[in-house]
Amino acid sequence: MENYSSELDGLFQALADPTRRAVLGRLGQGSASISDLAEPFDMALPSFMKHVRLLEESGLIRTQKQGRVRTCTLEKARFAMLENWLSEQRAIWEARTDRLEQLVLAKQEFLRDQQKRETGR
Amino acid sequence: MTQTFNPDLDLSISRLIKAPRAAVWNAWADKASFEQWWIPAPALCKVVAMEIRPGGAFETQMSENGGEFGPHLSACFLAADDQERIVFTNALTGGWRPAEQPFMTAIITFKDHPQGTEYLAHVMHKSPEDRKMHDELGFFDGWGTVIEQLAKLVERRH
Repeated sequence: MENYSSELDGLFQALADPTRRAVLGRLGQGSASISDLAEPFDMALPSFMKHVRLLEESGLIRTQKQGRVRTCTLEKARFAMLENWLSEQRAIWEARTDRLEQLVLAKQEFLRDQQKRETGR
Repeated sequence: MTQTFNPDLDLSISRLIKAPRAAVWNAWADKASFEQWWIPAPALCKVVAMEIRPGGAFETQMSENGGEFGPHLSACFLAADDQERIVFTNALTGGWRPAEQPFMTAIITFKDHPQGTEYLAHVMHKSPEDRKMHDELGFFDGWGTVIEQLAKLVERRH
């Protein structure tokens, strides 16, 4: 479940940027080369490539190099994870439980340290 | 009471937390602790009411960027068994008053485990009407729309 949660985090992070969303929108119409995708953006190629890499790491797109042209394709299966209405709620509750756990453990550790200091004296 | 699980509407999250049950319970029942984990940072959470008893009000507010606090959750506790179980719903508000936009009931259970506490959140959502609303909003119509909707989801999350 923690994997599921961090995968969702990656997906949401990938989507949390207008350039990347525009790229996904363009790829929704079909595969495209990186140079075609980059054209509408007033951005240096290395910066644009960072966006492409992040999208690729999130699993939302895959890229394939043929000769000197790298083509990007939307990974539709990946969207199923986000399309699911429950996924959003699950992500919220997973993250919430993560934070609860971290808080409880941090408090426990604080108490243990305090005890150690007291008995050490 | 046994709860049935509806995979289309429910979600269930269980977690083994390596701490005594009292510690996990306190992180829930103590307002100052609760505020630290209920909403993801950098948003801030304020507990307006947390009367952990049947019919008690449960209300949280959220501030997105340190500004004014706005509504987040307005709910009512249905059951409260000390260190064992908390049930709340946003179908009602404090004192069992019907709420305007019911959406879910959550059952939180705390159980002893040899290594600590077994924490379980079972969240049941309202009938598929909410999902129909998603459909009507075009959530499933074409990738462009999907992405727009997702973007909205993302912006709401952060």
